[in-house]
Amino acid sequence: MNDGWNIVVCVKQVPDADDVTIDPDTGTLNRSDAPAVLNRPDHNAVESALALREAVGGTVTAITMGPPPAKAVLQTAVGAGADGGVLLTDRAFGGSDTWPTSLALARAAEELDADVVICGEESTDSSTGQVPPGIAAHNGWSQLTYVESLEPRPDEDVLVGKRDVEGGYERVAAKLPVVVAMEFGANRPRPAGLHRKIFAETEFEPVEWTASDLGIEDRVGLANSPTKVGGMDTASPVERERERVDTVDDLYEHIMEVL
Amino acid sequence: MSAQETNGTLQLPKMQSETPDYNDAYDAIVVGAGLAGTAAALTMAREGLDVLMLERGPAPGTKNVFGGVLYTPTIRELVDVDSAPTERYIAEKRFSMLTSDGDETAVSMRPGAWRDEPHNDSYTVLRRRFDEWFAKQAVDAGVTLITETTVTGLVRDGRKIVGVETDRPDGEIRAPVVVLAEGANSLVSENEGLKDRQEREAVAVSVKEVFKLDRETIDDRFRLDGDAGAAYNYFGEGAVGEAVGGGFVYTNKRSVSVGVAYRIEDAANGQTPEATLDAFESHPAVAPLIRGGRRIEYSAHVIPEGGAKAMPDLVHDGAVVVGDAAGLVLNSGVHLEGTNMAVESGYHAGKAIASALADGRSDEAALAAYPRDLEDSFVVENLRHYDWFQQTIADDRKFLFEDLPRALADAETEYFKMDRTAKDEHTDAARDRLLDAAGGWFGAAKRAWRFRRMLS
Repeated sequence: MNDGWNIVVCVKQVPDADDVTIDPDTGTLNRSDAPAVLNRPDHNAVESALALREAVGGTVTAITMGPPPAKAVLQTAVGAGADGGVLLTDRAFGGSDTWPTSLALARAAEELDADVVICGEESTDSSTGQVPPGIAAHNGWSQLTYVESLEPRPDEDVLVGKRDVEGGYERVAAKLPVVVAMEFGANRPRPAGLHRKIFAETEFEPVEWTASDLGIEDRVGLANSPTKVGGMDTASPVERERERVDTVDDLYEHIMEVL
Repeated sequence: MSAQETNGTLQLPKMQSETPDYNDAYDAIVVGAGLAGTAAALTMAREGLDVLMLERGPAPGTKNVFGGVLYTPTIRELVDVDSAPTERYIAEKRFSMLTSDGDETAVSMRPGAWRDEPHNDSYTVLRRRFDEWFAKQAVDAGVTLITETTVTGLVRDGRKIVGVETDRPDGEIRAPVVVLAEGANSLVSENEGLKDRQEREAVAVSVKEVFKLDRETIDDRFRLDGDAGAAYNYFGEGAVGEAVGGGFVYTNKRSVSVGVAYRIEDAANGQTPEATLDAFESHPAVAPLIRGGRRIEYSAHVIPEGGAKAMPDLVHDGAVVVGDAAGLVLNSGVHLEGTNMAVESGYHAGKAIASALADGRSDEAALAAYPRDLEDSFVVENLRHYDWFQQTIADDRKFLFEDLPRALADAETEYFKMDRTAKDEHTDAARDRLLDAAGGWFGAAKRAWRFRRMLS
């Protein structure tokens, strides 16, 4: 592949975690007041996609699934330097859990002839971390999760990921095509250039694909989502004793009492 | 793995790897999406100009602080104010003197006319909501708004200002005119030599807290109903201690804004904003108004109070200065205004730029209609009229802030005292207290003369 890799970066629009509150009575997220922003770990995904493009050449295509306003996160990615964008938007996608969501993204990545798909490790509004492995599973591609850094070997069609594991790290070499979940905070996302940002927010237009464009209109949405939220509960914090002990012996006594 | 396998007509995304060059793609760059900047941008867009507005916050309004009352006559000319996110209209103004001993003497006014539309064009607003809405009106009119972008300097070609430098990579952008609407802390204008660093005496510091309360609680405490609201202003030692300034309490829909503003010189001399605000909020005349409220916001800001004398040059080759950056704030004790003047200045600047650019010019002389029109407007008129005020109250601080409020409280106590002495004697004693404080008949007459312009 001498013209570089087709790099696809998956991004998600979420309510700004700084402004989200939890309704203490219902236990549900109060999202209405929070502005919609790019999922924070996705900034790391975009950055590693751009760095990978610098290393091996090719293009970065940002892709998101959501209602039309989700275009904003594609603008963020294109502002940072992505070359193009795809918006998966269709009423049929409504209510999808991680299974149909990763199916849609997997099908789109296939259409884009992706060599590498990069995602953030999880989304701040649902925190499952299931979508990146889901994409790999749907397409039967390799996967690298919780990756700290990437090392491409374009001559061998291989991408090596450095993964944080207990007691150290491991380096895993994956054959293309591969799906990568970047660890949150793994890199320092670059700020958008001024002119690129203006372009992204004024002239850039993503293409829009529907569920039937991808041939999956009967396999997405609420009806095709195996997980159901049975209920929500809030955990109330335990009141601390706030006792001070002066000596180690006293502390020992206290611990023994509890045990 | 090709598109053709499933759907031959699927449109692939267009790769847009080349970034266009936006130098001189816009007619004007506005620095700051506050009220002055947005008014300028909106006015220019309506005149058919392409405008780029740069804002450092994540959204317009997030970096803006003011007491809380917006006067809307000029905004009404530009946009449909009735659809704006206002909090309450001002149904009551109250001016109150506080001593540090807990005394309060107040004058309250509730003209019936204020209850009728358009409510004397006076509303409390929350800037985060209002500025965002106002900027959206500009965007709807065609303005390009770019947020999270801080202007750090100006680009020049010889003397002429031809663009701005931002904190972003590839961050320089050029346009024929730059509108500096960067606010009170106008670092770019100062660093670029467009205005002098402000004198300490001419700058006030303001700190403000917002307390959340039920709508009904606010209605009951302030005697309000519907969308009616109250603006309470406080003076005297009980409001700002040893400093020269005042305190305020304004009602929003479901919150109350409480704050103090006084000369930054007093803060530099050791009177900290947090202690001043704390003392004000604990005053027996103020504490019950916010009792039980949950503090949801804390903010601080500087206010240029130099008046007409401290106004910098408003036009330069290729640039104009508007709003707080131009020092357009009025504090006459009775009138506290700034945002309306910011809007007015942005409006006149926008008009002047449009007509200069129509002649293919952007030099200082071509833009001179802006300061000329502002000079003819209420903005400079009012600033000049009240120019004497700041210094006069500073000179007479002890009388105005300590002696007078206390003498009033003493006189009231005396006048209404219930005992077995004749009322005549109480009246005499009350008058004596006041005259003592004012320096006898002669002193009182002198002071009355000195402050006559406050109501003229």
